[in-house]
Amino acid sequence: MAAILRYLGWALFGLLVAWLLFVYFPGLLARIQPNIPPGFVRIENGWVYALGGLLLAVGLIVLYAWLVTLLVNRRTQRKRSFWPLVGQGLTHLFMFLVLVFAYYPVLQILAASFDPRNTLYRILPPASDNLLVRARVIPDFSQLSWENYAKLFDGFILYPYQAVLLVAAALCLLLVLVLAAYRRLIGDADSDSSLGKLQGRSLTAFALLSFTLVVFLSPAQFTGQGTEAKFLLWVRNTLFVSGITGLLAVLLTATAGYAFARFNFPGRYPMLLVFIFIQMFPGFLGLVATYVLISNLGLLNTFTGLVLAYSGGIISFGTWVYKGFLESISKSLEEAALIDGASKWQVFTKILMPLSAPMFVFIFLLQFVGTYSEFIVANLFLTGVDSWTVGMGLRNFTTGQFSTRWGLFAAASVLGSLPILLTFYGFQRYFVSGYTAGSVKE
Amino acid sequence: MHRSPPGARGFLIAIGLLGGALMVAALAGLLLFWALQAAFPRPVEEGYPGYLILIFGTLVLIPILVVLGRRVPYLTDWYYLLPAITFLLAFTVFPIILTIYYAFTDYTGIRNGKPDRSTETVVVQVEGRQLLVEGNAHDLLRCDEPDCAGQALEITTRTQRARVRAEQASGNTITLTAPPPFAPTLVYKINEFRFIGFRNFVEIFSRAGTVLLPILLWNIVFAAGAVVVGAIPGLILGLMLNNKNLALRGFYRTALIISWAIPVVISVQIFTAMLNVQFGPINRLLGLLGAYPIPWLTDPEWFKVSALLISLWLGFPYWMTATLGALSTIPDDVYEAAKIDGANGLQTLTGITLPLLRQPFIPLLLGSFAYNFNNFGLIYLMGPQPGVEGRPSTAQAGDILITWAYKTAFQADGGQAYGLGGAISIIIFFLTVAISLINFRFTGALREVR
Repeated sequence: MAAILRYLGWALFGLLVAWLLFVYFPGLLARIQPNIPPGFVRIENGWVYALGGLLLAVGLIVLYAWLVTLLVNRRTQRKRSFWPLVGQGLTHLFMFLVLVFAYYPVLQILAASFDPRNTLYRILPPASDNLLVRARVIPDFSQLSWENYAKLFDGFILYPYQAVLLVAAALCLLLVLVLAAYRRLIGDADSDSSLGKLQGRSLTAFALLSFTLVVFLSPAQFTGQGTEAKFLLWVRNTLFVSGITGLLAVLLTATAGYAFARFNFPGRYPMLLVFIFIQMFPGFLGLVATYVLISNLGLLNTFTGLVLAYSGGIISFGTWVYKGFLESISKSLEEAALIDGASKWQVFTKILMPLSAPMFVFIFLLQFVGTYSEFIVANLFLTGVDSWTVGMGLRNFTTGQFSTRWGLFAAASVLGSLPILLTFYGFQRYFVSGYTAGSVKE
Repeated sequence: MHRSPPGARGFLIAIGLLGGALMVAALAGLLLFWALQAAFPRPVEEGYPGYLILIFGTLVLIPILVVLGRRVPYLTDWYYLLPAITFLLAFTVFPIILTIYYAFTDYTGIRNGKPDRSTETVVVQVEGRQLLVEGNAHDLLRCDEPDCAGQALEITTRTQRARVRAEQASGNTITLTAPPPFAPTLVYKINEFRFIGFRNFVEIFSRAGTVLLPILLWNIVFAAGAVVVGAIPGLILGLMLNNKNLALRGFYRTALIISWAIPVVISVQIFTAMLNVQFGPINRLLGLLGAYPIPWLTDPEWFKVSALLISLWLGFPYWMTATLGALSTIPDDVYEAAKIDGANGLQTLTGITLPLLRQPFIPLLLGSFAYNFNNFGLIYLMGPQPGVEGRPSTAQAGDILITWAYKTAFQADGGQAYGLGGAISIIIFFLTVAISLINFRFTGALREVR
C-alpha cells in the first residue's frame, strides 16, 4: 500500500513537472510582446556570448587547477588529482555569481541614492563607452552627489548637548567594535573575561546613550521644508516604538514562559493551546476593532497607543520560545534553591533571569526588527508627518501623489536600513542560536 | 488549601477567580471614570482621556490580587501568566470577538456606528420628547427613512452627550422615543451598521468560483513555491559552505545574509522598481542576453513569477543558515565511518547528510509554509497588480487571501467593507488553524508539551 502511494506521489510529481515544462512555461513565454521600447538595448543571441564567457571562466579554472597541481606534484613527488582544486574554483565562481545576485539590488539602491537625477524613469541612455552602462545594467556613476542625503537633513538643528551624547554613543559603539575584533583576533570567546565584560558594558552604555538621544530629539529641531526633511525624526520615532515594543515583549513573555515551563497547575495545557491558537487569527484584520478600542482609550496618534496595538501580537511567540529555552535548562539548581526555602519568584529572578539574558536579547531583537519595518498598523494609528515611522515615510516616497521620488527613497532606504543591518550583523550569533535554542529543539 | 484542586475543577476555579477579579477591576475603573466625569464635568471636545479607565482599573486590581493570593495561595501560580493574559484579552481576544461580530454586519467606512459630524443641527427648543430645529429636520439630518423613523441620533450639550432614537420627524420637529436625559443644544445623525446574518459569507461563497477558489489555489501555490524556491538554493549553498576546506567560507556565509537583514519594506520596493518592464535593470540585463522586455509586474502570470523570484531573494539566507546550523550538529565520525566503508561523495550526501537533515527541516518547512501563507508584506508592497477579468479590484492576479481581506476592509476601492473583510479573516483563520494542526501532527509539537 505504501509503495503504491509512493509511486502515485512520484507520478503526480512527474505530471506537475511535465505540465510546468510543456504547458506553463511556453504559455509564459508567449505572453512576452516582441517589441523594443525606446532606449532598450537588445542583443540578438546575447546569451551565446554570456554562455561562452562562462565556459571560458570554467576553462580557465580547470587550466589553473591543472597547472598548479602539476607544479605541486613535481615539487613534492606525489601524484595528486587536480579535481578537488577544480571543485574549489567552481565553488568560488558559483559563490561569486550568488553574491552578484544577492548584492545587485543593494548596488542599484546605493547608486540611485547618490544620483541627483531621478534615474528610474529616464529614457535617454547614459553617454558611456561601456555597453553595460549604456544598457543601464550597471548604474551610471558619472554624476555623484550628496544631494539626496542633504535633502533628508535639510534644516535639522542638533543641540550641543545632543552632539555630545551622539559623540559619546559613537565612541562606545567604536569601542565595542574594536573590542569584538580584538577578541576574535586573540581567540577570546569567554564573555566573562575582563575584555568581554568591558565589551558588554560599553554596549549597554551605547544602548542607554542612544535611548536618551532618541527620547530627547524633538520635532522642533526639524525646520526644513518638505516632508523628507523629517526623515531623522521618523527614524527616531521608529526606534522609540520598536524599542518599547521589544521591551514590552520581554516583560510580558518572561513570567509566562517561566510558568509554562516549570509549573504544573491544572489548566496549563489548555492555556498553552489558547496561547498558540489565538495567534493564528490574522492579527491586523482585527485592526478596526483595535482602532475602536484605542480611540476609546483616547490614545490615537500617540506612540503608547501604537505600542499597545502591537502588544497583542507579540506574546505567543515569545512565550513559546522562552518556554522552550527554559525546558532545555536543567532543573537541579532551582530544585536545590526551592529546598533551601527560596520562593518561586526568587528562583525566577535570582537564578533563571541571569541565565536567560541571551534569550531575552533574542526576543527583544526579533520584536525590534519586526516592528521596525512595520507600516500598516502605524499608518492607521499615526497621523501627521511628525509622528510617522520610517516604513510610512518610505511608502510615501514611492506612492506619492505626484511622482515617485526615487532618489529620496533610495537615500532614505540606505540610512533607514542601517540600524537594522547593524543590529542584525552585530547580534548574528543571537539570531542563529535563538532560533536553534527556542523554536527548533530537535 | 495550598494545593490546587486537581483537573478541570481547579482550572475552572482559577479562571473564574481571575476573570472575576479582572471584571471587577474593569467595572470599578469604568465607574470611577464616570464618577470623575460627573463630579468635575469638562467640555465634550476635551473630555477626560479614556486611558484613565485602565489606570483606575489597575489601581483597583492590585489590592484585589493581593487579597486573593493570601486567601487562595495556589492562585499565585497564575499571577505569572496574568500580564500576558491581560494583554492578550485586551488587544487580541477582544478585537477578534469584535471582528467576528462585524463579520455578521454591514459595517463599512461610512456605516461605522459613529455620529456624522456633517449633520450637525442646532436644537432651538426642547419640549418633552420633542426637539425643535431650524429648518426641515429630515433634510438637515439626512435620515435614511423619509420620516426618520427609528433613526439613531446623538445629542450633546457642552459637557454631556447621549445616544437617542427618533420616533419620527416632521417639519422642524423631531420626536424621540423617550424624553432626552438633558436638554441638548446640538443633534447629529448616527451612521448605524446593521446585523445582516450570514450575508457576507453568502456573498463570498456565491462567487467562490471566480474569487475565493482561484485566490486560495494561488495562495497555496505561492506559499509552497516560496518555501521551495527559498529552501532548495539555501540547502545547496549550505551544503557547499559546509566544506571545511573552502577558503573564504566565513566571508561568504556572512556576506550572503544581506537579504535577510534588509527590512522587507525596503527590499520589496527596490525589487518592484528593478522589475519595471521598460526601465528595470533586470529586463535590461535580459535584453543584453537577447530577451524581449518581460512584463514582470503588468502580466497576471508573470506577476506570480515575480512574487516567487522576490521570495527566492528574500528566503535563501534563512535556509542557508538553517542548513549550516543543522549540519553542524552532525558529528564528524559519521562521515569518517562512511569514508572507511568506501562511500563516495554522492553516496554520503544521499545516504547520510540528506536523511539526517530531514528531521530538523520538517518543522522549519511547515513553519515557513504557514508564514508565507499569510505573507502580507511581500504581496502588498509589490504595488498595483495586473487585473483579471471578472474579479473585483480588491482581488487581482497576485492577491492572496490576506491581501484580499485587507484591501476589502481598508481600501477605498473595496468600499472599506469591514464586515466583508472580517468574514474573509474568519475563513483565513480556519485555514491557518488547519495548516497548523497538520504542522503539529507532523512535528509532534503538541504531544511534547504535555
